[in-house]
Amino acid sequence: MTAKKTYHGRAPAAFALIVAGVAFLSTPAAAQRSGAEPFKIGVILALTGAGAGLGIPERSGALLAEKIINSKGGVNGTPIQLVIEDDGSNPDGAISKANSLIHREKVSALIGSSQTASTVAIGGLTDPLKMPQVALSGLGPAIERDRKCVLHVAPSQALNAKAILEYASSIGAKKLGALYDSGYGTVVYNELRKLSDAYGIAFVATEKFEISATDTTTQAAKIRAAQPDAIVVVGVTGVPIRSLRQLQMKQTIIAANGLASYETVKSMGDAADNVVFPEFLVGEDPLPHQAEFVKLFHKEYGRFPKILEAVGWDAVHVILAAFKKADVGANNEKVCEAIRSTFKGDMTDYDFSADDLNGIKLSNIVYSKLVAGQFTRLPFQAKEK
Amino acid sequence: MKASRSLVILLSIAVCVALPPFLPRHFVDLLVFAGIYTVAGLGVGLLLGQCGIANLGQIVFYAIGAYATAYLTVYVQAPAMVGFVVGMLISAALALTIGWPILRLTGYFLALATLAMGIVANALFFEWDWLTGGTLGIGGIPKLQIFSFVLDTPLRFYYLVLGVVAICLLLAHNLIRSRTGLALRAMRDSQDAAISLAVNPRALRTRIFILSALLGSVAGSLFAHYGGFANVQSFGIEKSINFLLIPVLGGATSLIGVVVGALFIAVVPELLSQFGGLHQILFGVALIGVVVLMPAGLTGALAEVWRRSAEGARP
Repeated sequence: MTAKKTYHGRAPAAFALIVAGVAFLSTPAAAQRSGAEPFKIGVILALTGAGAGLGIPERSGALLAEKIINSKGGVNGTPIQLVIEDDGSNPDGAISKANSLIHREKVSALIGSSQTASTVAIGGLTDPLKMPQVALSGLGPAIERDRKCVLHVAPSQALNAKAILEYASSIGAKKLGALYDSGYGTVVYNELRKLSDAYGIAFVATEKFEISATDTTTQAAKIRAAQPDAIVVVGVTGVPIRSLRQLQMKQTIIAANGLASYETVKSMGDAADNVVFPEFLVGEDPLPHQAEFVKLFHKEYGRFPKILEAVGWDAVHVILAAFKKADVGANNEKVCEAIRSTFKGDMTDYDFSADDLNGIKLSNIVYSKLVAGQFTRLPFQAKEK
Repeated sequence: MKASRSLVILLSIAVCVALPPFLPRHFVDLLVFAGIYTVAGLGVGLLLGQCGIANLGQIVFYAIGAYATAYLTVYVQAPAMVGFVVGMLISAALALTIGWPILRLTGYFLALATLAMGIVANALFFEWDWLTGGTLGIGGIPKLQIFSFVLDTPLRFYYLVLGVVAICLLLAHNLIRSRTGLALRAMRDSQDAAISLAVNPRALRTRIFILSALLGSVAGSLFAHYGGFANVQSFGIEKSINFLLIPVLGGATSLIGVVVGALFIAVVPELLSQFGGLHQILFGVALIGVVVLMPAGLTGALAEVWRRSAEGARP
């Protein structure tokens, strides 16, 4: 009886509290701001959830771009404002966020998302409006075929696969082992299989693991038993590399660029040494056109940028260049037309008029090796065939 | 009391119909998701509220509906209705095949069995990329069209979803009020007594499980047409837990509770997202708050407020 009485007393108060809270929170963010309207760019990233490892560094690059661009006078004198939203690594959330950015915040263009599923979801909204969208994830052939104003600054899966095979071929590896995750890894591995014959390379052992796996020793042991000449690792965590090294495997490990981050290196410890990465940006030894960005980034954050920070930076500059070319007030179609051209980014050079909607060339890829936790640029250079 | 209840229902319907055109587009978008979640959550709610079964596998049928629609409309260019029907047929067949053996279990064991079903299905959606598109999923699903009227805005789609929700709630209401509904509650409250009255619990549970699967499939097909894509990332265990939370938060034995629970799941995370990385913690705190302070769900608490105010007004 006493318990029932307590519940009766609390329920109305709790209900009222929730209603009041919801009413308070539903006040639009826009209504709380004032001042002149800047040039708004919507950014949707995976800042929480499984893709947070991608979204957080991408946000660092984008925010630095916003700061530097505004310090130089913005776009044609108008300051830019990035309206950043978190899709929670969930494509359903990405739709709501994109609707909010497009129709409530009235952004002129969208950047995002960090993951392919959310990018595809957002593309369903930007495509009918012909609104420029710069994705930070790789896209797929269906999207590249149908949506011509959704560009991407990350390398395509096919390019990742070619870059890996080029290096494997250069060291004379004929028998490869592959450890890849069930997400991004599977897509890259499918491309590796398609292209391997052309390089005269065979996969003698291939093992898949869950993205969230914390131990891949069993899979690594199977790879070891096949005695490959080199091992390809495609994933977003250092777990598989650690497993391979724990089994005392001395073969060369070639890791896809998703693993080329300082966080991953830190998590791998000594196991990271001598792993080779086909990537774009070696902060410790940048290419001449990357030096300014690396310097600015290091000054701002006290660390070197890698590919994820660089794509965030480049995405903002790609959009800005298109609006400068087409004019800030230009309609979406004109901006889309302007954006589909070549662009010299700090990460790499793009050709957004190419069929794969980014036109990154194999020759733009640089190779690095980890030595005592530092990325060291290798002299090897892949060539277009 | 009955007249005032009817008035509240009529007023609610009027608000649902008249208000959305005046709401911001992104809010209507959230209402569309709330409607879709209501349909899927209703299936879970019927199982939980009427049969006492905690179903953590609703995502399987939601995904089947979405993939059936995606595959048939994009690759086979079939009409939208074919996607809905095929999704429902596959879901019903699977629910019968899986439900018949696992519905012998009860309590935590049954909940764990449905959870396992969701985990296995998620792994298959990843692996069967020839069918589901794997990590890349299937994009470019056409917008629904009624004759030449294309449902290509959140507001247009909202009214379709509203109609579907209304029909589902009406059918569920009739089911609960029928002899079957009585048998379900008898079975939930005292299975032995129900058996002595010639109720076959396993057959009855399987029928409701199939009905729940059908609702999940319809919701999945609606989602695919609305979002324009079907991707394995939308069909994780997290979503299954959300579908179970819908009746738990709203009130498992109340149909209106399912609607309220779906609104909570769709709208509250969005409102909290302005707090950045903290929003997931705040959402968790809100969930705990509702479950601890309102064991009968949000509608249970509302009914209590109503009852107390009615008692207070009495001379």
